[in-house]
Amino acid sequence: MDFRGILDRLKARQAPGLVGSDEPRAADPADKKDKGRAGDPFLWVEAQALPRFLELCRDDERLRFECLIDLTATDPSKDDPNLHVVVQLLSLAFRHRLMVKCTLPKAAASMPSSVPVHRAAQWHERECGEMFGITFTGHPDPRHILLPEDWIGTPLRKDYVFPDEYHGISCK
Amino acid sequence: MGLLEQQFEENVLTTKVDWLINWCRLQSVWPMTFGLACCAIEMMAVGCAHHDIDRFGAGAFRASPRQADLMIVAGTVNFKMAERIKRLYDQMPSPKYVIAMGACATGGGPYYKYGYTVVKGVDRVVPVDVYVAGCPPRPEALLEGLMKLQEKIQQSSVIRRPARTA
Amino acid sequence: MAESTATTEREFMLDVRTQDMEVNMGPQHPATHGVMRILMRADGEICTGAQPHLGYLHRCAEKIGENVEWLQYLPYTDRYDYLAAMNNNLGYSLAVEKLMGIEIPRRALMIRTICAELNRIGSHLIAFGTYGLDIGAFTPFLYMFREREWMMALFEKICGARLTYSYIRIGGVFNDAPPGWLSEVERFCDVFEEKWQEYVDLLMVNHIFVQRTANIGVISPAMALDFGLSGPMVRGSGIDWDLRRDMPYELYAEIWKAGAFSIPLGKGERGALGDCWDRAYVRVMEMMESIKIVRWCLDSIAPGPVIADIPKTLRVPAGEAYVGIENPRGELGHYVVSDGGKVAVRCRVRGPSFTNLAVVEELMPGTLIADAVAIIGSTDIVVGETDR
Repeated sequence: MDFRGILDRLKARQAPGLVGSDEPRAADPADKKDKGRAGDPFLWVEAQALPRFLELCRDDERLRFECLIDLTATDPSKDDPNLHVVVQLLSLAFRHRLMVKCTLPKAAASMPSSVPVHRAAQWHERECGEMFGITFTGHPDPRHILLPEDWIGTPLRKDYVFPDEYHGISCK
Repeated sequence: MGLLEQQFEENVLTTKVDWLINWCRLQSVWPMTFGLACCAIEMMAVGCAHHDIDRFGAGAFRASPRQADLMIVAGTVNFKMAERIKRLYDQMPSPKYVIAMGACATGGGPYYKYGYTVVKGVDRVVPVDVYVAGCPPRPEALLEGLMKLQEKIQQSSVIRRPARTA
Repeated sequence: MAESTATTEREFMLDVRTQDMEVNMGPQHPATHGVMRILMRADGEICTGAQPHLGYLHRCAEKIGENVEWLQYLPYTDRYDYLAAMNNNLGYSLAVEKLMGIEIPRRALMIRTICAELNRIGSHLIAFGTYGLDIGAFTPFLYMFREREWMMALFEKICGARLTYSYIRIGGVFNDAPPGWLSEVERFCDVFEEKWQEYVDLLMVNHIFVQRTANIGVISPAMALDFGLSGPMVRGSGIDWDLRRDMPYELYAEIWKAGAFSIPLGKGERGALGDCWDRAYVRVMEMMESIKIVRWCLDSIAPGPVIADIPKTLRVPAGEAYVGIENPRGELGHYVVSDGGKVAVRCRVRGPSFTNLAVVEELMPGTLIADAVAIIGSTDIVVGETDR
């Protein structure tokens, strides 16, 4: 199915948390500032409803997104008060992909964990959590995975300050 | 060596004995399997038939640091690994040598500027004898590094008292 | 008589108090395929729990992607899966080209496919050789380096580097193949077909190897999908999925339609379906399929430009795109976000080894410690990709 087909199906099934969609568009000739958007279409979903949304995507017989390929986040800019959590889904049965995005406020970055729906989310959420400072409630094992256990700071946020030294070894 | 180490004054006899001991040591420097990243693949290539490190006597890669003379730090060192490198270096018995292979081990490599967890050179953690440049260095470059290390071993004073500088 | 000794023995065993021992495997270990640490709990020889610890090679690739320009990021892509560097370059270039919407010249597509498939062979050779080394067979490791050295010499002739190429660039490839290169690739294919049979006879059907890997680390199809596995990990369990055929990129749709290659699947020939032997078998068979793809490209290649017109300071149109390609280890995904500037806003790398490794935590309990090495070897991870 193409993106429009998937979106229609989700709307027909009243997918929990579905807020809207964003598709690539050409530059608007009337507006000089609008340069358009390239790339892939994606859906906006509410962060707190993400696990239920993923469960519907996995179980619906016309969608069948069995595989959670990636779960990560983006910090759009230093001034933006929100983080975007990005999920890539893949269906082997129907050979289609879906990109899902959620917004989370940086000040209160907490959302439910998707581990009960896809075991693949376990390590992706651990990495996302330590890099962006997002808390996934209900995650069975939220330790640091790539960074040292006592690392201070969330490196992939845009306002991250590189440390000066760690355990006596200089960082400069 | 223990009791005899660096006890004797430098004369014709002790120089010859030192030459023999150093010659024996440099012909069989056994490395530890310590490949960290991409340079490890070039180290494996050095160990294999095409570039054969065994003809230098260094072909017996030991897994345990307690049986190794040489630690070839092949790859990027980061903070999590640095503590383990120090511990492994301490576990190696003397005389021990370290070759920093590749740009990352020498000075942080391509991760120098924006790598927040990368140690900018393994010499901040352990003392290094030879630096081999490259990203990754060709196997021939690593062999040249080994030969430089052998020249360095040849200069060391085992039973002679080391020459006083000025 | 036999029964009473058995009962007394059991009573003795119940009387002896034992404690599970926590054994540390790595980060410096000859069989962990890099710097990875597995904290194992062992009850005698049986592993009762395994917890992988990563991060010993975390090199901040994603932070670097947000700070260097688009073209400057290319050398960093080589270094995550350093055994298949061409494929990494390809994945990143495809993601950026998707945002740019440019067309790649046909000769560039051909050369890219040849390089990617040759690198796939090189990567599977290392997987095969080091797997033998882990199990205890030293000879296949030395034999496979023979072909790998030739492959690296071919790449050195085309781009100057042996391991980290930065050859497949945004818009095409860096430079054209030197004269004589294509005929040398053809000679390589001819020789490799003979040597491939040697590899199968030496290790794959070897009785000891089969005993060490059959019925070990069985991954069921449901488990494979739940863990988001990809590549030989799912094909070894019988799931017929390969991004080159099912979600084609570059020239693969054309090559598949021409019937040039097939997708080998695990069939449970030597043990349960989805065991370590099946995964190793899939990798060895895939080497032959890559040779067929290379031969198709050699037959169809024609002279022409090798790179599209890309400015030195690239500004990529605003937007975001995800492209997943079939790396030798699985699905390598690049998710790039651009705001129209010189530097990416986000450059996410979805490494297949990271996702594939998670299944080890599930497979190891209940096996012998010696089988733990076989299971890790069959996942074919590269720690540069696990940690990025």
